[in-house]
Amino acid sequence: MIKNYMKSKVIYLSTASTILEAAAIITKHHIGLLPVVDDQKRLCGVVSLQDLLSLELPAILTLIDDFDFLNDFGAIETTRPTFREVTRPITEIMEPPTYIFEDSGLLFAYSVMLKHNLYDLPVVSKDMLLVGIVSRVDIAVKVLSNWDQIREIPQ
Amino acid sequence: MIPAILSSIVFLATLILIFTEKLNRVIASTIGAVIMVILGLFFNFYDESQALASVDFNTAGLLLGMMVIVAILEPTGFFQYLAISVSKQSKGKPFRLLVLLGAITTVISMFLDNVTTVVLIAPVTILICEILGLSPLPYLMAEALLSDTGGIATLIGDPPNIIIGSAAGFTFIDFLTHSLPIIAVVWFVALLILRLLFTKELSAKPSNLETLQDLNPKNALNDPKSAKKVIIVISIAILFFFLEELLAIKPSLVALGAAAVILVWVRPPIQETLKRVHWDVLIFFIALFILIGGLEASGVMGLLAKQIALAGNLPPILFSLILLWGVAILSALVDNVPITIALIPIIQGLGGTGIPIEPLWWALVFGAGLGGNGTIIGSTANIVVASVSEKTGTPITPKLWNRYGLPVMLGTLLVASILYVVFYYLVY
Repeated sequence: MIKNYMKSKVIYLSTASTILEAAAIITKHHIGLLPVVDDQKRLCGVVSLQDLLSLELPAILTLIDDFDFLNDFGAIETTRPTFREVTRPITEIMEPPTYIFEDSGLLFAYSVMLKHNLYDLPVVSKDMLLVGIVSRVDIAVKVLSNWDQIREIPQ
Repeated sequence: MIPAILSSIVFLATLILIFTEKLNRVIASTIGAVIMVILGLFFNFYDESQALASVDFNTAGLLLGMMVIVAILEPTGFFQYLAISVSKQSKGKPFRLLVLLGAITTVISMFLDNVTTVVLIAPVTILICEILGLSPLPYLMAEALLSDTGGIATLIGDPPNIIIGSAAGFTFIDFLTHSLPIIAVVWFVALLILRLLFTKELSAKPSNLETLQDLNPKNALNDPKSAKKVIIVISIAILFFFLEELLAIKPSLVALGAAAVILVWVRPPIQETLKRVHWDVLIFFIALFILIGGLEASGVMGLLAKQIALAGNLPPILFSLILLWGVAILSALVDNVPITIALIPIIQGLGGTGIPIEPLWWALVFGAGLGGNGTIIGSTANIVVASVSEKTGTPITPKLWNRYGLPVMLGTLLVASILYVVFYYLVY
């Protein structure tokens, strides 16, 4: 079960936080995904690195199929989001969470990650309380460590 | 009298649905056309074969042919290649960038669909402006306004021209001799007005010029082979447009023929290519022709023409100018295609009363074309540019459009009116 291999000390954010606070936590702890919880600690969203970094990227890129005629983004490289943008509540940019329950299997958790192209997955209890977080590395380490018990079956 | 009243009600109700956007224009016009034919059958004024005959297949064929050609050219990256190449030529000087991007959009719009042109060029424009640290607003406005203006210069430049050309029997050469000279002057007027309106933005100092010089337009050209083939066939097609009278071939045959040749030569994935054809526009046009055909068959158009002719004791110059400005104002507020299709039988009716109608056709061309510049909803290209601009720091709002587009519309209309009177009433 996933609850035996997850990290139960989760760094998370409350719905009252701002975008700026999310960025500060991510830089401090070097993490890629921040779960967002309400005041009862129920999981209600996630913020990924991509959500934050997209505030720096020009929005027009979504309309341009390929931009390999460029080498760098010129003035865009040094444009920062405005104070007003980064002091918005995190709830404005967070995404609906993809999560698994604490009694899920390891390989099931991994396949959910693959399907949604995620590297970290919040783990919740039956009543949606955030109880942990699990990464691809956590799962891989556990699964691959079992491989040294694979033996040739005698004919 | 009953057919006339009923067909008018159907037509007006359809127009109201289209212009209030209560219903998608394609759905509204299709329903209107169907009701028109049913009433026609019931009250004996219009039947299926008449409805079919009222569709101008020369217009539909020309549009379809050009749309297929554009659909094949679109994914080659040719449009982006041109936009990046000319941007590099500007050396980052703002006004030069505006003129070059505006000019390339104009030239493409003279021969190909305006909407596709701006859909592909506007995003690249925004990216280049942001790289240079410039506001994209003046460049986007210039592209929309100048592409609409450029389209008026040729028979195949925009849909009203195709419709009018087909109804009045104007050839490709007629447009080059009657419209292009006036539009060439008007184009510079539009550019001048933009220069004055954007004085502040165009004196901004661009940064990161070396990034601009490092741009490699060739990388944007995904499929140079196909692009080359399409350009070769378009060039030959344009040659055939010139020979329309000599060879007695319709422009629709040239366009459809060119599309067929390109399909055989390039062999694009056909499903994907046909998906890029704007079938909604074609259906909309066909439905409008059927609706107007019903109005004609019920005698409404003849009645209107008679009324206008009675009031037509006005001097011809004044009458033409009223038509030009009236159509322009309507085209700024609503789609210019229904207006054009509706006015065609009226002008043809006026011809029967002895009024010289050739100048009236050209008044319709200039009014329908230039009027579209006035408001954000005046042309599809405007709407597209505005929606693309939502991805920038200064989205183009209706109010913002009025501040820059309206002066351009009024200035260009004024100059076009003067040239129109000189050319059509004093010289010819």
